[in-house]
Amino acid sequence: MRSLRAVPLALLGLVWLAPIYLLVVNASTPATEYDSRTVWKPHGFALFTNIGDAWRKADLGHSVLSTVTYSVVSPLLAVLVGAAVGFAIVALRLRHGFFWFAVLFAGSVFPLQMLLVPLFVGYADTSLYDTRTGMLLVYTAISVPFAAFVMRNFFTGVSYSLYEAAVIDGAAPPRIFAQIYLPLARSALAAIVILQATFVWNDLLLGLTLSQSDDVRPIMPALTSLQSAYGGSALPTVLAGALLVSLPTVALFLATQRFFVRGLALGQF
Amino acid sequence: MRGETVRSLRRRTPLIAAVLAACTALAACGGGSGGGAGGGGDVSSLTLYNDKGAWKANFQDLGKASKAGTGIDLSPVGYTDENAYQAFIKSSFRTSKRPDLFTWATGGQLQDLVKQNLVAETTGAWTKAIADGDVPEALKQYFTIDGKQYCVPLSVGYWVMYYNKRIFAEHNIEPPTTWAQLMAAADTLKKAGITPFYQTNVLFSFVWFETLLAGTDPDAYEGLGKGTVKYTDPPVQHVMQLWKDMIDKGYFNDPGVKTDPQAMVKTGQVAMANFGTWFSGSLNSLGMKSDSDYGLFTIPNVDPSLQKTSVIVEAGPLCSAANAPHKAAVDKFNAWLFTAPGQVAWSNSRGDISFNPKAKTTDPLLTAQASFVGGGQVRLLNRYFEATPAPVLTAALDAFGAFVTHPDNAQAQLAKIQAAADAYWK
Amino acid sequence: MTAISRPATRRRVNLAAGGFSLPAVVLVAGLLYLPFLYTVYLSFTSYNGLGTPAWTAWDNYRTIFHDPDLATAARNTLLWVVGTVTVPVGLGLLLAVSTYGRRFGTWLRLPFLLPYAVSGVGVGVVWGFILQTGGAFGQALDFAGLPGKDTGWLLDAPVNTIAMIAAASWQSVGVNALLFVVGLQSIPREPLEAARLDGATGFRLFRHITWPLLRPITTVVVGLSIVGSLKTFDIVWVMTQGGPGTSSETFAVSMYKTTFVAGDYGVGSALAVALTVLTLVVSISYLRRQLSGARAV
Repeated sequence: MRSLRAVPLALLGLVWLAPIYLLVVNASTPATEYDSRTVWKPHGFALFTNIGDAWRKADLGHSVLSTVTYSVVSPLLAVLVGAAVGFAIVALRLRHGFFWFAVLFAGSVFPLQMLLVPLFVGYADTSLYDTRTGMLLVYTAISVPFAAFVMRNFFTGVSYSLYEAAVIDGAAPPRIFAQIYLPLARSALAAIVILQATFVWNDLLLGLTLSQSDDVRPIMPALTSLQSAYGGSALPTVLAGALLVSLPTVALFLATQRFFVRGLALGQF
Repeated sequence: MRGETVRSLRRRTPLIAAVLAACTALAACGGGSGGGAGGGGDVSSLTLYNDKGAWKANFQDLGKASKAGTGIDLSPVGYTDENAYQAFIKSSFRTSKRPDLFTWATGGQLQDLVKQNLVAETTGAWTKAIADGDVPEALKQYFTIDGKQYCVPLSVGYWVMYYNKRIFAEHNIEPPTTWAQLMAAADTLKKAGITPFYQTNVLFSFVWFETLLAGTDPDAYEGLGKGTVKYTDPPVQHVMQLWKDMIDKGYFNDPGVKTDPQAMVKTGQVAMANFGTWFSGSLNSLGMKSDSDYGLFTIPNVDPSLQKTSVIVEAGPLCSAANAPHKAAVDKFNAWLFTAPGQVAWSNSRGDISFNPKAKTTDPLLTAQASFVGGGQVRLLNRYFEATPAPVLTAALDAFGAFVTHPDNAQAQLAKIQAAADAYWK
Repeated sequence: MTAISRPATRRRVNLAAGGFSLPAVVLVAGLLYLPFLYTVYLSFTSYNGLGTPAWTAWDNYRTIFHDPDLATAARNTLLWVVGTVTVPVGLGLLLAVSTYGRRFGTWLRLPFLLPYAVSGVGVGVVWGFILQTGGAFGQALDFAGLPGKDTGWLLDAPVNTIAMIAAASWQSVGVNALLFVVGLQSIPREPLEAARLDGATGFRLFRHITWPLLRPITTVVVGLSIVGSLKTFDIVWVMTQGGPGTSSETFAVSMYKTTFVAGDYGVGSALAVALTVLTLVVSISYLRRQLSGARAV
């Protein structure tokens, strides 16, 4: 019975990939041959030429190192900070725990576009503008509400008796956090890191507003320079650039699949 | 199993900590080198903020030329999102990041900055350039507010009609010199199954409005920009009717098509596109050749009884903040930019027209167009985008976009724009 | 008294709780709350981005509540909320349950997860040319002999909003499925096995054992979907800019247009504040109901 369901799922998966097929086919069309009336048919294989063009024109090389740094460090920091506060609310029974949780959650509700101008002015005045530290700080802060939300909820599923037993054994909160709660949460931590790393990697607005040098600006502002009403590049080149820039996140997804296979023992029984 | 996980995490913890530490160190070390070196006097490089991110290579070419000519290089910081760019520039004036050089727009946007004394005056540079014959006097008006000039012109675009030469040849169509000929050509093309004109319902939805109004009643067009003429007045109503007729005859492509206009001209999806002379660059980037694959002609007035041909001009100014960090260098650069070496470097890099009659560009079509405009039979009108105040423009763009999608409700759309205009001009 | 409940220990634990929470609160307060407070201030002023803001008290709020276009934005935003909280969440759950714990489960899930990995530029452009008149979707319909080749999917309300919801769901189904899988992983084997021994299978097993135990993560998925849908901006901006006219505008699009395109920071900020208050009221009441008492012993 279960094996029958695999086939429709796989078929649905293929249909789901249709836009990616379109992306790849049109990114491979030679730039001078693109015709928007026949987008489904492959027109040739100029994918690597187009990628090379996009890389060169958008000057993507400069931004890779900084974007990698932001996408790795900020989510890791945010997930630790988020897990810490989740632990404090659930296991350590922080006073007015729901209130603090709501305060952090509200941080994810503020519309990002409106925060840009005051953030820019604040950054310029505190010399954080156009620095990697400044970018790391803001990316971490943006990621904390989501991390706190998921971890707080995840930790409610961990049996409190685990905490009590550890206290009786003489362990202090930091040890309990690092050696019991964090290891149990590895799939939640992985999910948060994956999703936030992708979000930071794909960020456009914060990078555009809070930085300007080539080696501080992340990769998306550089990529969008390919697309402009005032004469950007041909569509296949733009798509090739978008495809290239999506590869690291795809690789991240593939590499972390193993976290989501086995069950976790959270000590409820 | 849990114990195993704890042990493996213990083994991995120092590794994770080391990676985090390395990355944070890397992050702290890297950082903006900022624009030119500190200090007001001698700098070797000016930061040029611009909203034409795709033109980065062109700005770099210009920088190389200016380094040879004045010793000052350029380091461009590009944005492609117009709204993000404007928000950035506007808020930068309050901080220490006041821009040395930045691209902007004439019209209401420039006035906003001048009103707050945020832009550097350039009257001296203009007077000299006009005296030297480097810039036509007619261009000065767009940069003048209350008798003084601000900013210098970086690029100038005249709006013309681009066409696919092969399609014209196949259907025996000559570039039209009167409106009647243009409509006849459109009719021929339509009957042959080719869409005559390009249109869109986002960003450039105002283009046909300005073309039709400038070609019927240019005084009314200028009046709209000053608030002395209403959108509900007869000249504008007449234009909407003309526009609707053209849409109903099927002269335009479906406004929901998102393909780049240059791609549509190239593949023959549309035969003609109404754009600024910078469109040559877009067509060239697809491998089309100027004068062999595509041509351009001045759009004839709708009303043949008008004395001069109306041509829409889009002046792209380069401005400097009022207390910019490196004023002396900026002045030197501005003076150089007016001259032929500066203009030639820029136009050839962009493949675009220059306002300087002494600067000969390599593109024959553009050179011809520039001399035509300089010839005296032309009435220049500022582009709608610049001539209209921001709140009115927002309402207008929405209204025109809705109109081309459903041309039946012109009255309602005009009323909406006028409501915004009334609120602004009161 | 046990070791845990002695007053000295309690005080030490409270201190530890404070210390664990401090980094999160400092980061969020400094980089998110402070800028938002500035927005609240601007909502009571008239400001075009230059010079100094002029105090106007409640004028901006009066303006927005009398704006006829606000009703369009409200309708579209409601469509987004309903569309996002039902379909992508439901499909994500279905996907997670069908693929968790089976052979090749992660591979079956992968095609749905990959869309989230594609950059925003790519998604906007690709769906733009799928849904444009005569675009890939129209061409595919034509190939299958179905009508719709020349339909303006993005031109007429409310079809354009529904089409964009479909484009957004393309990305979010996979994300929801991933989160649901995390939830499924934390369900212990024992009650499942006990129930199976009692003869429960398939849907009954799911409804009585799995679903209640999934509640913490379901709350996360639904909560995030509510917030995300009320704040919908990116995909609408890239595909239609709220157009044609204002027919596909959402609250966040109106807010952005008013502030950055029309240059009216005061009214735009008022819209931002109103939107934030609305989102907080809806999401926090949802969370309050879900999170009280949901704790394992």
